[in-house]
Amino acid sequence: MKHYSEDDLILHYYGERPRGADVEQHLDGCEQCAAAYRELATSLRVITTPEAPERGDQYGLEVWQRIRHQLPEQEMPWWSAWFRPDRLAMAGAFTVLLLAAFVTGRWWSAGNAPAPPVASTAPPPQAATPGDDGRQRILLTSVADHLDRSERVLTDIMNTTAGGDISTEQRWAEDLIVTSRLYRQDAVDAGEHSVAVVLDELERSLLEIVHTPSRATAAHLDEIRRRIDAASLLFKVRVLGSELRQRERQDAPRPRALATQTS
Amino acid sequence: MDATEVAAVLARARQGDSEAFRTLVERHSRRAFQLAFRMTGNEQDAEDVVQESFIRAYRQLGRFEARAHFATWLHRIVANCSIDLIRSRRARHDHASTDDFASMPQPEADGPNPERLAASAQIERSVAAAMSELSPLERAAFTLRHYEGRSIAEIGRTLGLGTSATKHSVFRAVRKLRAALEPLRGES
Repeated sequence: MKHYSEDDLILHYYGERPRGADVEQHLDGCEQCAAAYRELATSLRVITTPEAPERGDQYGLEVWQRIRHQLPEQEMPWWSAWFRPDRLAMAGAFTVLLLAAFVTGRWWSAGNAPAPPVASTAPPPQAATPGDDGRQRILLTSVADHLDRSERVLTDIMNTTAGGDISTEQRWAEDLIVTSRLYRQDAVDAGEHSVAVVLDELERSLLEIVHTPSRATAAHLDEIRRRIDAASLLFKVRVLGSELRQRERQDAPRPRALATQTS
Repeated sequence: MDATEVAAVLARARQGDSEAFRTLVERHSRRAFQLAFRMTGNEQDAEDVVQESFIRAYRQLGRFEARAHFATWLHRIVANCSIDLIRSRRARHDHASTDDFASMPQPEADGPNPERLAASAQIERSVAAAMSELSPLERAAFTLRHYEGRSIAEIGRTLGLGTSATKHSVFRAVRKLRAALEPLRGES
């Protein structure tokens, strides 16, 4: 005859069905298990619920008085972060920076470039204008920096132990989500689709990190890590970051003579 | 307060209306204290947990889904704040078994006979001492199962554990408590 383990009997005591078995019926016919269950039940029955000290009707008000001056700023859902004044200001500043770089590039090229040959009828290639180069360089630098920061957060999460506090990483991730969206849109506008795809994948993992409890359990961390691994995200972030740095170096302003020669 | 009023108060609180949040604090503090006391076994710790839980709840109100019950959500926060506090207390090597017991209400004098009272007090002492030796998760899982009557599935959701991990926390806690009570079997 198969007997029930202590764990099964504990589950039965608490009204949880152990592996779908009919424990009650078994206990009626098995003296050994019945005796074990009686002992278990006796032990657990003497553990009575401790009575909490009484708190009066005004207790809620007392708690309120103690915490009212300590209330922190509310954490908003990720999408509402777009509309926070500081984030809007940051996005605005970034746009102004891009615009300034574009205008400066146009002005610089207009002031220094030689007059176009009259005989030439071929239109200049769109991507080769210095203004666009400047904008492109800023985008490359910004996205490469962004990927560096994201890599640090992902690496931290990959190395965090279960039960540890990941609230710092979550705050970083939350900030990175906002900038990631901006860069992704810029990448799409600039025709950098492979960059946009990696930023999109990155954004999903960052969102998952933000929405995990700050005391992440082993199960939570496994889930996040599994997704990061499945998408080879860390690898892609590293490779793209290094590729952008390389392109950034290649696209750096060359001596004027060379630049005019090639135009 | 009916469901519509509760929803309206919650909506205002989520928009940062501190007066609306005050209504929630006044309404849920006593229940939060009871749970915190059972989880920590100490009156002062329970007070700290209640305060920290409401502060944490206020900070995270934006993430609270209106369809959920605020009481259930707060219950989860109180349980997790209690675990954090027990962990930090452990980290300070501040095992408060004596204090825990001191804060437990003693049997009333007009109850059963003196021998039975003495035995009962001895059991409470042993249980309090054994509870203070449990790991924070074992203690939380046992408290929620044994004292609060929560199901394994609910406890898992509250503590962010899988079913198997939740069950094993309860099993380990029961085994340790039974071992602590073993010497008293003849007396009870």
